[in-house]
Amino acid sequence: MAATPDGKNVYTEAVATGLWREIPVFRMLLGTCPTLAVTAAVKPALTMGLCVIFVLVCSNIMVSLMRKGLRPHVRILLFTLTIATFVTIADLFLRAYQPAMSQALGPYVPLIIVNCVIIWRAEACASKSGVLLSIVDGLAMGTGFTIALCTLAVIREILGTGRLFEIQVLPTAFPAWAAMGMPVGAFLTFGFVLGFINLMKRKRA
Amino acid sequence: MLDNLKIFVRESWLLVTAALLCGLLLAATNAALGPRIEMNKTLKLTNLAADLLPEAKSFAPLSEPIEVKGLDGKPETAVIFKAIDGDKLVGWAFKVTGSGFADKIDLVVGADASFSKLTGYDVVASSETPGFGDQIKDSYYRSQFAGAPAGKFSLVGTGAASPTNIDSTIVAISGATISSTAVVQAMNHYLPQLKEQLQQKGLIAHGSNP
Repeated sequence: MAATPDGKNVYTEAVATGLWREIPVFRMLLGTCPTLAVTAAVKPALTMGLCVIFVLVCSNIMVSLMRKGLRPHVRILLFTLTIATFVTIADLFLRAYQPAMSQALGPYVPLIIVNCVIIWRAEACASKSGVLLSIVDGLAMGTGFTIALCTLAVIREILGTGRLFEIQVLPTAFPAWAAMGMPVGAFLTFGFVLGFINLMKRKRA
Repeated sequence: MLDNLKIFVRESWLLVTAALLCGLLLAATNAALGPRIEMNKTLKLTNLAADLLPEAKSFAPLSEPIEVKGLDGKPETAVIFKAIDGDKLVGWAFKVTGSGFADKIDLVVGADASFSKLTGYDVVASSETPGFGDQIKDSYYRSQFAGAPAGKFSLVGTGAASPTNIDSTIVAISGATISSTAVVQAMNHYLPQLKEQLQQKGLIAHGSNP
């Protein structure tokens, strides 16, 4: 089993890195555009997360397969080509099988092309690692990204509508905070969650 | 020369091969999912049209496509359906496109069987600003078109006319003039063309001009 220089299992390390140590949204502050845009409710956030997992895993596989032939001056071009291809496939799939969700997400699915989490993993992991590790890395980073999106979406949907997955969870007497469904709610929730995570990190240190 | 070619091939073969593979992959996906995406679009349009033409039991495309000029002046195939109840024609449903504040606005419009009056419109796709331009989806604005003559419309500011009067004068949405104008312009652009084409094909009688 492959190991890191300090003797740890590379696959477990990749999972720990993606899910916590370098969780894209909360620790690396990457991919914040879709984080703010699609987290008004859990369903679109989850769909976006699944799309990102698909694109991350597929682009990581393709970049990993091409890694020995990569030339420095065309590598970014190759990464973008690969990512754009799988984003377009994800977009077409949504438009075919989830048309309502595709419309609700609007331009944010095609915009996955410029999500820096994906090009970051292509550059930092897939272009230097084998296919299996690239798949694990893509899955872990994508899941970390999805967890972050869903965390914000759960808070915003509950406080903004009193519902979760369209099921009433707060007493109907609770006045829904409409602002939570708007951009201001996204920024505030993101800020508070980041602050909470930093506070926990400081306490543990 | 040969050396240059060798360098070019060595440096770019992977990019060229990857581009070819990606292109093939996209073409295959598009071929597999394209018909379903088109079906979804038609289904959405006819579902919205069913609310505008409640007596319609089904919607059928025309046997011959109709060519119209788009907003940019380029020819396009009109998206138009016959609204049918059994063998009886009960109206028309068609798509018009306007140039909104943020992006294009796609509307589905219903007209009666003689194409003399509109039965209303609904928004198929729009990216207008929530709370402002997206009020074109609200009944205040939409209801002004239901029952209005299927001809040219003129847009007036709030207070210049009553929005409850159903005629060819449309009262704009306060704070959303661009979106209000986009809807009226789309109607004014497509309605006369569609009416003329339908008359030429003998699908509606030659009657009042738009």
